[in-house]
Amino acid sequence: MGNLIKRALEHSVNRRTFLGWSAAAVATATVALSGPESGLVKVGSKAEAADAASEGKWISAACWHNCGGRCLNKALVKEGVVIRQKTDDTHPDSPDFPQHRGCARGRSQRQQVLGADRLKYPMKRKNWAPGGGKKELRGKDEWVRISWDEALDIVAGEIKKAQAAGGPKAILAGRLDSRLLNAMGGALTTWGVTSEGAWPQVEAKMYGSYPLQCSDRFDWRNAKLLVIWGANPAWSSAGNPIYNYLQVKKAGAKVIVVDPYYSATAQALADEWIPVRPGTDAALLIGMAYHMIKNNLQDQAFLDKYCVGFDADHMPKGADPKESFRDYVLGTYDGVPKTPEWASNICGTDPMVIRHFANELATTKPAIMNSSAAPARTYRGQQYCQAYLTVGFMTGNVGVSGGGVFMSYHSRQSYSSISMVNGGSSGVPALPNPLHPYETYTFSKPEKTDWYSMAYEETYDAILKGEFTLGQRGKTKCDIKMIYSLRTDSGGNFLNQSSGTNKGIEAMRKVDFIVTSDIVLSTVSKYADVVLPECSQWEKAGALRTGNPEAVFYQEQIIEPLYECKEGIWMERELAKRLGVDPEKVHPLPIKQQFFNQIASAKVVKPDNTGMESLVTITDADIAEWKVAGKPQQGRITLKEFREKGAYQVPRAAGDKLVNIAYKAFRDDPEKNKLATTSGKLEIHCKALSDVIHAYGFTECPPIAMYQAPVEGFEDTFKDFKAGVKGEYPLQMFTFHYPRRSHSVFDNVRQLREAFPQEFNMNPADAAARGLTEGETVLITSKWGKAIRPLHLTERMTPGVVTMGEGAWVDKDDETGIDKAGATNSLSGTRLSGQGEQPWNTCIVQVGKWTGAPLTPDYLWKQRIVF
Amino acid sequence: MAQKGFYFDQTVCIGCKTCQISCKDKNNVAPGVLFRTVHTFEGGKFPKPWAYFISIGCNHCENPRCVQNCPTGAMHKRAEDGLVVVDQDVCIGCKYCTWSCPYSAPQYLEEKGVVGKCDGCVDLTAKGGNPTCVDSCIMRVLEFGDLAELKKKHPGVQVVEGMPDPSLTGPSIIIKAKPEARK
Repeated sequence: MGNLIKRALEHSVNRRTFLGWSAAAVATATVALSGPESGLVKVGSKAEAADAASEGKWISAACWHNCGGRCLNKALVKEGVVIRQKTDDTHPDSPDFPQHRGCARGRSQRQQVLGADRLKYPMKRKNWAPGGGKKELRGKDEWVRISWDEALDIVAGEIKKAQAAGGPKAILAGRLDSRLLNAMGGALTTWGVTSEGAWPQVEAKMYGSYPLQCSDRFDWRNAKLLVIWGANPAWSSAGNPIYNYLQVKKAGAKVIVVDPYYSATAQALADEWIPVRPGTDAALLIGMAYHMIKNNLQDQAFLDKYCVGFDADHMPKGADPKESFRDYVLGTYDGVPKTPEWASNICGTDPMVIRHFANELATTKPAIMNSSAAPARTYRGQQYCQAYLTVGFMTGNVGVSGGGVFMSYHSRQSYSSISMVNGGSSGVPALPNPLHPYETYTFSKPEKTDWYSMAYEETYDAILKGEFTLGQRGKTKCDIKMIYSLRTDSGGNFLNQSSGTNKGIEAMRKVDFIVTSDIVLSTVSKYADVVLPECSQWEKAGALRTGNPEAVFYQEQIIEPLYECKEGIWMERELAKRLGVDPEKVHPLPIKQQFFNQIASAKVVKPDNTGMESLVTITDADIAEWKVAGKPQQGRITLKEFREKGAYQVPRAAGDKLVNIAYKAFRDDPEKNKLATTSGKLEIHCKALSDVIHAYGFTECPPIAMYQAPVEGFEDTFKDFKAGVKGEYPLQMFTFHYPRRSHSVFDNVRQLREAFPQEFNMNPADAAARGLTEGETVLITSKWGKAIRPLHLTERMTPGVVTMGEGAWVDKDDETGIDKAGATNSLSGTRLSGQGEQPWNTCIVQVGKWTGAPLTPDYLWKQRIVF
Repeated sequence: MAQKGFYFDQTVCIGCKTCQISCKDKNNVAPGVLFRTVHTFEGGKFPKPWAYFISIGCNHCENPRCVQNCPTGAMHKRAEDGLVVVDQDVCIGCKYCTWSCPYSAPQYLEEKGVVGKCDGCVDLTAKGGNPTCVDSCIMRVLEFGDLAELKKKHPGVQVVEGMPDPSLTGPSIIIKAKPEARK
């Protein structure tokens, strides 16, 4: 490390003509360049042009976050110093074969990796002592630098102690699987759905596939209507999805965006914006279905042939014919016709707009509907998914060119669901958690009885109350002594990112010991006892980055590990030695070997779409150079080319053989190509869905789409809904993905804070009623917490609805209980719903005057620099 | 001299600010200093609101006020391509340019005591490349090149609601404007 600083300084002094580092950048952005600033003067453009980038090397650099995109990111490295970044320029750019350009976050990667607030040394909380010490000081205690030996001895000792007290069940590993703990009998884990809300089980049971199939982006251009439901790909699926949508529009499709907020996507693409209140989309859809049925606009032939449960004549075997969707909509048995007026009273959308939208959707063929997961991140969110799919099926847009009833999000949005190129396996053998031998994200087997773990939303209650739900087995007792959260990829910042942060802080202050690893002092680490400094991906041997259906990205090591940072693998191997566990069993493969294995087993689709073939040619010389175990193989590109480009992108052109139309086989021959549902058809009435939701043990789900008021939905903003009397928390708050960060990652980066101020958005009418004005700091309160934020007034917000971006780094004052960062989870409560989804978008709040000091802009705040 | 300039297609800009951030990365400027900025404009009335963005750096004006008001000659307009650049070895940090530019293009760099600004990424464009902002754009709404060529290729305007009167300086920019943004 010292060497790197020395080189950086020499570089700046000797090569005064190039370096553009300003003193401010030195102070805030880089450890590699800290030191005297005298040499760091940027010169005029003449000299700069002469110098140019004739030296230095562009290296493909990881952008490893769970942001919603997957793009190419490169770093210019000169003499060991990262000078600047760029994105994809590996081939000429065109809409058919577009470059994969990174976003504002990716372009700030250097600021994150080399930030002055990187964690540098192992450290412990000053007032921690075996047993916990002064637990109430977690989150505000001083940090003490310790040696790696001391840190590892403490952690190993605490693991032994917790296991002696309560076995594997005494340690909570949370969402992040620990191979070390799994090798020692496992640990308590948490499961459920975050990103996708209530979608997974609905997709699996009604459609027969999870994830849902989607058609190829070239086929999207055949649509005459594109409905984007609750999605803002401009900000939440960074990279090409929004650009692909633009091509759909340019090809002639009309675009309708349904959203409570007139989003960046809406303003760029929408011919029409349909506002809807959060958590009420199901009501809007059911009102649309009423209009379609009353005017006989549904594709009855499609419903009769391909679906079950729409009407009494087409019910699945064994179902009560009175339970048809049609009869529910018409109010045949409950006496409540679900008219557009009925819907409007709930969702707020004008009844005439509902009729017009229903007409348009039912009569424009072919049409693509694409939903995000946001409307399903609600209490009882299944009802939205059921209603969305049902109305989609009523239009018959399944399995046809230019049509689709899709749910796609993240980097796959706008693409086919089929990966045309993928990174292979790292070759690390599975080491499952004996306490929960299933997947944790979207855990789908609640009916089994061999799992012992809890829903994300129940974590804090499990710690505080000592019990949690085991599906239909009911509540079980627990006594959690320790939280173990080694975070290899910036994920797992649960205290910030799960509902109910205030309850979470209380829970964090109850256990005896908390260890995390981190690259910066994120919220979960701030409240820990021992924090271990982790290498960022730029300091590791490399990996392939996947998730983009048409490209795979090669990331390699950019810099040596900073300060005393270590890889998570090293930490667990060292702990294993102290705990008498074989480190080879825990982490048998170094990262470089894993990287090589991924490359060797990467596959790419054959140009004639007849299967997959190896992507990379590997020679004996490559293997020798890499110093890894492997075999030579023939692939499409050489390892050298892959490394130099930093990416492989499947060549695409209009009319190529790779165009896939989702569910076409089913549409062409539903008898021969049955879906993986109970009936083999699309299930508008779906008992399997009701059964599985029941098995989780939280809420019940009717077999057809019905609207039931969610907890903390629109209805709960009233003291008396029928009389129209508003209650204590009269506003609905939803959250959105903010370009300032990837969930909570990057929130510390000042240039992103400057660009995106974490403002609280409200309609001017709601502000006027409260005497609030643009830009002032306001106090936001909920049943669960308080936050302050600068107010932004905008007609783009639906009245009665407010929003701000999720993921701000909690900055809570214990005295007042106020979070000045405006983390949305400081305002959300924990709620158990459906399949353990996190219902962030059903949350009710009040907003009022703030009489304290106004907030300064976030980018001027002190960074969390520990040492 | 072939005057260089920017084209901006406002109709599909998504306000993602990748241009602003990639510019900061390229120029290594601290928070508080922006050589390119994305501004948001909003209006209308629910349920018919509107919104648009303006991405703007230096417009390398025909009559740059910053050059006219520079007492040292540090700020100058290049004969070969009309780019307005500052020689930081000559600049004395008097800030006259920062006060006279209607677009806030020249920015005072506190820690260096001189002015910096968008120079059209001359180091990149000299080699036939684009300025960083152009090549970073997710929606491909920015272009850079000979102004006359850009005008031919893209019929557009020099000003939209929210920008200063173009007759002040003659900005080298062509904008495809959203209906709500048209003056």
